Amino acid sequence: MRKMLAAVSRVLSGAAQKPASRVLVGSRNFANDATFEIKKCDLHRLEEGPPVTTVLTREDGLRYYRMMQTVRRMELKADQLYKQKIIRGFCHLCDGQEACCVGMEAGINPTDHLITAYRAHGFTFTRGLSVREILAELTGRRGGCAKGKGGSMHMYAKNFYGGNGIVGAQVVEDGDCMLS
Amino acid sequence: MAVVSALVRRPLEQVSGLLRRRFHRSAPAALQITVRDAINQGMDEELERDEKVFLLGEEVAQYDGAYKVSRGLWKKYGDKRIIDTPISEMGFAGIAVGAAMAGLRPICEFMTFNFSMQAIDQVINSAAKTYYMSGGLQNVPIVFRGPNGASAGVAAQHSQCFAAWYGHCPGLKVVSPWNAEDAKGLIKSAIRDNNPVVMLENELMYGVAFEFPQEAQSKDFLIPIGKAKIERQGTHITVVAHSRPVGHCVEAAAVLAKEGIECEVINMRTIRPMDIETIEASVMKTNHLVTVEGGWPQFGVGAEICARIMEGPAFNFLDAPAVRVTGTDVPMPYAKILEDNCVPQVKDIIFAIKKTLNI
Repeated sequence: MRKMLAAVSRVLSGAAQKPASRVLVGSRNFANDATFEIKKCDLHRLEEGPPVTTVLTREDGLRYYRMMQTVRRMELKADQLYKQKIIRGFCHLCDGQEACCVGMEAGINPTDHLITAYRAHGFTFTRGLSVREILAELTGRRGGCAKGKGGSMHMYAKNFYGGNGIVGAQVVEDGDCMLS
Repeated sequence: MAVVSALVRRPLEQVSGLLRRRFHRSAPAALQITVRDAINQGMDEELERDEKVFLLGEEVAQYDGAYKVSRGLWKKYGDKRIIDTPISEMGFAGIAVGAAMAGLRPICEFMTFNFSMQAIDQVINSAAKTYYMSGGLQNVPIVFRGPNGASAGVAAQHSQCFAAWYGHCPGLKVVSPWNAEDAKGLIKSAIRDNNPVVMLENELMYGVAFEFPQEAQSKDFLIPIGKAKIERQGTHITVVAHSRPVGHCVEAAAVLAKEGIECEVINMRTIRPMDIETIEASVMKTNHLVTVEGGWPQFGVGAEICARIMEGPAFNFLDAPAVRVTGTDVPMPYAKILEDNCVPQVKDIIFAIKKTLNI
């Protein structure tokens, strides 16, 4: 498939100059993974720190993209529902900030503990709950992750401790989680 | 001469008759004002009257107040009197208490009283107890105000009623206005009071308009802290409430009046020091008591009223046990149907009244 495309691109780039080469970027130019450099951390009493490069494979990239796209669409829908007053009270959205929750999930394991403040929908999704459960919770339905009793800011999942409405509360709770 | 004066007198009489004639005057339409504007007016007048008064809180200055209660005040008084604070209740409540100890008269606004839990150490330990602990040397003339209790769909962490929590503490005065008149009179009295006062407003009442009587429009209109008001006279049963439920009680009383039951509705206005004399006098007249509040039942305002009635002379006049109508004993749920059933509604009040009267 790739050879065929390469052959076609060679033919076309021979036939018509600029447009074709712009239209058909040769598939041999797609890399299978990308390497990112990470800023080195200052170390204190440690021999080595976290890695300074990381590799994002195509599969992972597509997976993250799919997750971000799902969160985006879920949040946009929640925005619409909030404006229709179907979602009541508070609704803190993370459309535009999906990379935070997806990126964080990429960096940790499902067994790690996570806690956040009130902008919790994206994290609830990346921690394993379905869009259906999240939207059901936002609309106050029994099928929601907290049976409709929690609302936007109080969503919980396994190893995910919410969802906290009081600013700053998650910082202390996080410390307590770490202690246990 | 006499003829001339007679000639002049008649037209003069007619002219003076014309001058004496007045336009037909009907009573002016009563001024309507929302609770929000009443509080705004009260704070404005006190800020003007005493330059030691200042307001601090989240979003009170440039945003005109999270609920627009302090609209226009920053424009009028500037940065020195209306101060925006970071989201750190413990921090700015502490700053306010310190300022009060040093001689200023702060109004510390909590965006809701749920957030005051972060600062409750400052309110209780630094403000409430200080006058007693110092043997009367150091007073703390501070006002903590903000919306209290349930709102609409804000779920568990944003819907708690703190009337019982603050009412528990000696050294603190706690007031809870219902209508616009209450709001203005109580905020002015609270600011002029040399003790720490907690004013528990209600977010859902901010936008409700009430008639504003003539005397309430004056710059020196004060409502004494510690005095309840009888909103509606009645003979069959006493219904006591504070804040938003007072409106529900008045509605319930109107419904029951059609059935021939006359309820006496008492608006507490002050939680601490409680005006138990008014409630006792009313119970001695009606022989029945129902208390209504939005907070949880255990150790609540209604529980305190019932205990005090039992300890006082009014107990001998009760024909039936007093009944409390309260919020449901659960953290406030989010779903609308659950939330509606977790706050006292008019039908719950009517049910409790009929139960007490054995109808």
